[in-house]
Amino acid sequence: MSNYKIQSSKFDIWTLDFDIRKMLILGIETSCDETAAALVAGGREILSSVVATQLDLHSRYGGVVPEIAARRHAELIGYVIDQAIVSAGRTLGDVEAVAVTARQGLVGCLLVGAAAAKTLSYARRIPLVGIHHIEGHVFANLLSNPTLPVPHVCLTVSGGHTMLLLVEAPCRYRVLGVTLDDAAGEAFDKVAKFLGLGFPGGPAIEKAAREGNGRAFRFPRPLLRAGNLDFSFSGLKTAVINAVRPLMTGGKPLPVADIAASFQEAAVEVLVSKTLRVALETGVKAVSVTGGVSANRRLRQAFTQACQNKGLEAFFPDLSLCTDNGAMVAAAGYARLNRGEVAGLDLDVVPSALMEL
Amino acid sequence: MKVLGLDTSSYANAIGVVDDGRVLADFTYEARTDSLQKIVTNIDAVLSETGLALDDIDGFGIGLGPGSWTGIRVGVTVGKMLAYSTGKPACGVTSLEALAYDAREVAETVCTVISAGARDAVYAALFQTGEGGLSRVGDYYVGDVAGLARLGGRGAVYVSAWPPLGEKLAEALGAGPDYKIINGVPRGGTIALLSAARLALGQPDDALALAPLYLKESTARAMQAGIIK
Repeated sequence: MSNYKIQSSKFDIWTLDFDIRKMLILGIETSCDETAAALVAGGREILSSVVATQLDLHSRYGGVVPEIAARRHAELIGYVIDQAIVSAGRTLGDVEAVAVTARQGLVGCLLVGAAAAKTLSYARRIPLVGIHHIEGHVFANLLSNPTLPVPHVCLTVSGGHTMLLLVEAPCRYRVLGVTLDDAAGEAFDKVAKFLGLGFPGGPAIEKAAREGNGRAFRFPRPLLRAGNLDFSFSGLKTAVINAVRPLMTGGKPLPVADIAASFQEAAVEVLVSKTLRVALETGVKAVSVTGGVSANRRLRQAFTQACQNKGLEAFFPDLSLCTDNGAMVAAAGYARLNRGEVAGLDLDVVPSALMEL
Repeated sequence: MKVLGLDTSSYANAIGVVDDGRVLADFTYEARTDSLQKIVTNIDAVLSETGLALDDIDGFGIGLGPGSWTGIRVGVTVGKMLAYSTGKPACGVTSLEALAYDAREVAETVCTVISAGARDAVYAALFQTGEGGLSRVGDYYVGDVAGLARLGGRGAVYVSAWPPLGEKLAEALGAGPDYKIINGVPRGGTIALLSAARLALGQPDDALALAPLYLKESTARAMQAGIIK
């Protein structure tokens, strides 16, 4: 039994007594375009995970529109939370803590989830914990792979993020590299939009690439040989557009499949190569890949192959946990609560936040 | 019946508590960018002041806007989750109606105005106090300050939710003794009173379905629909 003393910013001290190993945590995630909530027991067992995606709202714009996303979150948040509790066969009274993505994301979106979470914490007198979005993704992989060792190198690749982390110990991270411009998933989105393949670009590019030749075009591998571990995807996107534009005037059909496959190869090579390089340098035994782009089959295949060649183990989350979800936030919340970390009711959201705090 | 009302639509955020038509607390504070940080701790502070616990509250009044888009999302989300967490009913009240209610003794017809953020843009509406209480006349107004002169007409009383807006309004209406401008804010106590009246009639809103009253499409959607370029 763990004894928690929870002190909010200016009033009561609540003392709770419960078995942390079974603690039922509600995880809330609204940092971008998914309104999501989940109930997770003991940081590991997913009892429910509800994700209301807004893809249909944003597809016509070729990207996520922050104000439209925030409006949708405000409409859906109550229903999604209720659905997470009901579909787990539980009641609100069973929820013992609430975790919410409070750092890294679209500010107007983050604050809907945070407002809901802190109200639940206050009204139900349960502890509140604020999570960094990327830490959530780290935990998505842990949820799917309980044997994922620490330390390991974790690459998070999504429409909003590209970050290479050394997970030194539970909840202790060192940022090794980030994108200097567009996120990897953003490049997929923009190239897909340019090729008329629709939004989101990740699955669209992957599908088109299946019929294509990845060596048909030789696109650049930005920063591949740079000494640092940062990424750049804006230049790759521009290179694709510049190479394709002259082909659009001949009246001949565009080799969309070859372009998609060649672009995908370039992006995958950079991601795999840099991640593997640092994994070998740091001497870790495992690599984990998370975020929406980690659902890409070509990326998984390349990582698995490269890791095998170097005697490393590669880990990926279940497909349902690649994109944003509440379960990963609840799992991260469990780890933070286990360390006695609790947020006050004055919790604020931070759109771009350091990971190493 | 004890009702807690809250509003986060303007530069001022407001929390109030009423009990059977009596205002027990009415707290208004400045919150330009820290609405989220302050709201829940201030709700607790207001309740403490009245000697009530959250569980003593029988219903919630939620300010729906119009006003700051980001601001109203905070208040509406907090309000609906309070109702959800406590199992008590909730009512949505517009910021323009709350302003009109506070000015109901000044004139029979008032025009209430909330800043819409950019330059001279405003949200406004005309309200009339009659035997049946307060009612809105016509549609909501979304436009610039200059167009308000037509909405209110001569001899109108304008209630502005932001002092600088009041000055702009005076400028747009021109000099003359035939109109009056009052500054006000949507008050938590007023939202609570209006909600309590509706709850007493057995007319609560579906709390989880409550959504902010924006009155304007997001810029992206408006551009897409060809409304703006």
